Amino acid sequence: MTGTVHIFRREMWQYFTSPISYVIAGALLLLTGLYFNGDVTFSLTVKPINPSLIPDFMATAMIFFGPLLTMRMLAEEQREGTMELLLTAPVNDNAIVIGKFLSAWLFYTILLALTFTYQIIVVNISKPDMAHTICAYIGIWLYGGASIAIGLMFSSLTENQIVAAFLSIATLTFLYLGNVAGQIVTNLNLAAAIRQISLTGHYANSFAYGIVRAEDIAYFAGIIAVMLFIAVRVVESHRWR
Amino acid sequence: MIEVQHLTKRYGNFLAVDNISFTAKSGEVVGLLGPNGAGKTSTMRMLTGFMPPTEGSAKIAGFDVQQDSIEVRKRVGYLPERVPIYPDMTVNDYVLFWARVRGVKNPKQQTAHVLTTVNLYDRRSTLVRNLSKGMRQRLGLAQALVHQPEVVILDEPTIGIDPQQVIEVRDSVRQLGQSHTVLFSTHILSEAEQVCDRVIIINKGKIIAQGAPDTLRKQLQKGDHLYAQISGANAAAASKLLGTISGVEGVSPQGEGYAIRVKPGKEVRGEVAQKVIEGGYRLLELRPVAMTLEDMFLDLVTKEQDS
Amino acid sequence: MQNDNIAITRSHLGQLASIIGGTALLMGIIGWIWQGSLSDIIIAALGIGLVGIVLWAALTPHEFRAFISGRQARYGTSAVFGTLLLLGIVALFYVVLQRAVIVMDMTEGQRFSISEETRNILRQVSTPIRITGFYSPRMLAQREIDDQFFRLYEIATDGKISRNYIDPDEQPAQAERYGLTYDGEVFLSFLNADGSVDFTSLSALPRSESQERDITEAISRLLISGTLTVYFDQSHEERDPLSAEPQGMSGINNGIQASGLITFPISLIDLAAVGGNIPDDASALILARPTTDFSEAEIAVIDRYLRKGGGLFIMSDVLFNENAFLRQDGLFSRYLWENFGIRALDAAVVDEVSHGQTLLESVSAAVYPENDIARRLDEENAPTLFRITRPLEVIQSASADVLNGKVITSSTQSYGETNLQLLGETETYRYDQDADIPGPLTTVAWAYNRTTGAKIVLTGDSDFATNSLVDTSGNAILFTDSLSWLTGFSDQVTFSPQAYGTGSPVIFVDGQMLDLIAFVTVILMPGVVFAIGLILWVRRMRA
Repeated sequence: MTGTVHIFRREMWQYFTSPISYVIAGALLLLTGLYFNGDVTFSLTVKPINPSLIPDFMATAMIFFGPLLTMRMLAEEQREGTMELLLTAPVNDNAIVIGKFLSAWLFYTILLALTFTYQIIVVNISKPDMAHTICAYIGIWLYGGASIAIGLMFSSLTENQIVAAFLSIATLTFLYLGNVAGQIVTNLNLAAAIRQISLTGHYANSFAYGIVRAEDIAYFAGIIAVMLFIAVRVVESHRWR
Repeated sequence: MIEVQHLTKRYGNFLAVDNISFTAKSGEVVGLLGPNGAGKTSTMRMLTGFMPPTEGSAKIAGFDVQQDSIEVRKRVGYLPERVPIYPDMTVNDYVLFWARVRGVKNPKQQTAHVLTTVNLYDRRSTLVRNLSKGMRQRLGLAQALVHQPEVVILDEPTIGIDPQQVIEVRDSVRQLGQSHTVLFSTHILSEAEQVCDRVIIINKGKIIAQGAPDTLRKQLQKGDHLYAQISGANAAAASKLLGTISGVEGVSPQGEGYAIRVKPGKEVRGEVAQKVIEGGYRLLELRPVAMTLEDMFLDLVTKEQDS
Repeated sequence: MQNDNIAITRSHLGQLASIIGGTALLMGIIGWIWQGSLSDIIIAALGIGLVGIVLWAALTPHEFRAFISGRQARYGTSAVFGTLLLLGIVALFYVVLQRAVIVMDMTEGQRFSISEETRNILRQVSTPIRITGFYSPRMLAQREIDDQFFRLYEIATDGKISRNYIDPDEQPAQAERYGLTYDGEVFLSFLNADGSVDFTSLSALPRSESQERDITEAISRLLISGTLTVYFDQSHEERDPLSAEPQGMSGINNGIQASGLITFPISLIDLAAVGGNIPDDASALILARPTTDFSEAEIAVIDRYLRKGGGLFIMSDVLFNENAFLRQDGLFSRYLWENFGIRALDAAVVDEVSHGQTLLESVSAAVYPENDIARRLDEENAPTLFRITRPLEVIQSASADVLNGKVITSSTQSYGETNLQLLGETETYRYDQDADIPGPLTTVAWAYNRTTGAKIVLTGDSDFATNSLVDTSGNAILFTDSLSWLTGFSDQVTFSPQAYGTGSPVIFVDGQMLDLIAFVTVILMPGVVFAIGLILWVRRMRA
């Protein structure tokens, strides 16, 4: 387990000292800020503030930001050759994957916390339903975790960061749109099934409304578990290719 | 320290390592010698616990590489052919990371120590991406040594670096041999000759020969050689002239003269001189030549390829 | 050398065959699952797949064998198998949790949980109730949100309330049977013993701000239906509840029945003759414009009824016959006046300001929502239209038990024309300062005896409830809510509005504050982060 800790620490260090992380974080904050301000202006007279506004926006943003955070994680190790060193070091294969996953998730959590400051602003100027907002944040935190796990899995499959990013974006887009599958698919059962698999289907109709459902938590945890499992198997496969 | 028994590795259909067995004692420097694709890297990968053998077994410091992989990895320092780097880390941080991952007790101290050993201590704040190739090699070495492993495995450590640094690396390997068991691979014979206590010659996954360089030379030397420079005679004439001497097994052009292969133990120098003069030619030079491992190796390898 | 060439070509072909075969096979299988059946294309794909794999095996047998049984295959299959196993466990876990419906409602107003009031009502559910929702694939998101709620009801009643969802696209016949008007409409009904839907109890669920309220009230209505009976007296030539003529009242009769109440005709005269009583199950007695006044015996019947807490809906009207019903000097009028402090005056309301086509068509100028009868009229701002109505008089009763009041009044520019003879013969009227009654005039009044529980609604007009006028603006609401109040129907379904509103209140913030917020969120925070990034980048360049 200490292997996980060391890898986790190195990845966190990598995030905090890499200019690119700051560009990504800055861009996210900027977009969120613009979105937030737009809604505040509307809320002056037209409608009340949406308690789940920022988390809802993050769901869309994660389609691109998630892969950006994770695309290099395993692909780079393969390309630079450090994967071979990791696999010959006295650490478990799952330590490698879990350490990286946790660091990406922590970084994401920090970004979420930064956007939470906007909610604090809202508290000062109106009477929002904070519990509802916190619920939405919990939901999007899990959502982000799942997105990151998916991105990490694709990063393990290839040496090429761009390919990893592309595959992740495609998958996340599909899972994001699943909620509106009903608009294109005519078979009700199929549409319902697609919604059950989709990421937004487990956030937009529950967490975003202020409800915590046990099965949604199970879904996100399940995605994380399965994706990380696959990633470990792929890393392991370097040994018998 | 290293025990390899009937080690075999198949990639799908392709047999990369074919039933090899050898040992390395503590403190020995063993060279794996062979052309590209001979199976050197595959063998090393099996010894470092990277991939499992298809058949056979290997033990390092008494631990089986399959059953006790983690224990083996703790005791092995490995430098792959392509030095792996994290471009954005500093030299110090890079080695420190590996120290920690390998479970070193005093990571910071050990890092400083090993950096000094490979002469990178004054570059410890440089970003890895800004190091020259030779320095990267030393960095790789540092990472392989920081946990003071009993066994050090180096895959072609002198590839692609300038001659000055090559010499430095060879010196380091020799020095290492004083306190570690070293296994390194190369396809340059002079290197193996100079650095190793023992050489294992591999080709197409099989061990062709193994032993100390001197012993090998004696084993492989198919005979004595003479070098003669004769003026006025062409290859055909020289061949005809000297071929008649009993004990001469072959005459072939070499450089400006001829290499004469002689049956071991036979003394033919006198007769050669006599024949040359009788033939009306002038003998400019006549001397015995020791065949280098290089020559023998090439000989051996081409023979293998032909068969 | 020849052999080498052939070997290379063969292995390439073999690889090609494996790729094409594998892809075709995969696509065939996916297509099969998607379509649910084997179409020609799918069969073709599967065929190509099979051929490809056979070719691959034939051309490069070593590789094929290695793929199937080699170490790679073993590790590969075990990895795939392990993944599928994990997936299966996760899916199982998920489904179990979904069935268990473990939900935590974090909204301030507990908008997604059911309240104590609802639970009280749900305890009375014994016959199975079915919630039928029509959702097309486009409305799936809505279905999921609604389902959260319906599930809670299902659990709270241990399954006595069940849900069923129908796709109106797939089953348009069903949609028609239910009378579907929009995608996403939900219906409530009882279930018959055999599990089929009892269409006689079917009602559509209204959608408003409070989902809980809508559903619970609908369930309540369902529960009440059939247990409340309303009687129409027919013995004084009242308006006929079965007549579909413009002057008939089949409209309100059907409406009452649609709400779940039962209606019956009754004859006061007969009852009075034998000294009988209004049946015990009468939740209300409707007098839909009797033409002649009541006898003492009849009044006694009514009195006995009221003393038991009965509800009386008196629709009087301007009449021109002898012994007109509820004439001011009549027995019944005196009875009402003495016991309840209300009566109708012998006049007709003429309103110069608040009127319909003629000044005699009185339109409500003011409503008094202290009583529930007028609440909806007030909220929805729906006026009522009366065609020639009598003004009413309401006084504070001497008795402390009796409460009464106005519901609707005419404008201040109105008066009560007392010269009914002139009006009846010539259809003209003229304000006579001495004789006529100045406005504003009450046109609908109520009375309630706290001790006996008796309730009375008195209207000066009956046309408003006839088929011709009942659909006009607030007339139907007036009728329904009056009856509702009389029968106690609304008591059973009262819903206290939830303390919390519909969302965050709109914010009040001045321009300066807005600018500050914009600055912090758009410039300051992102800016700081970008700056740090820049510094790091510069440092790296130098190092």
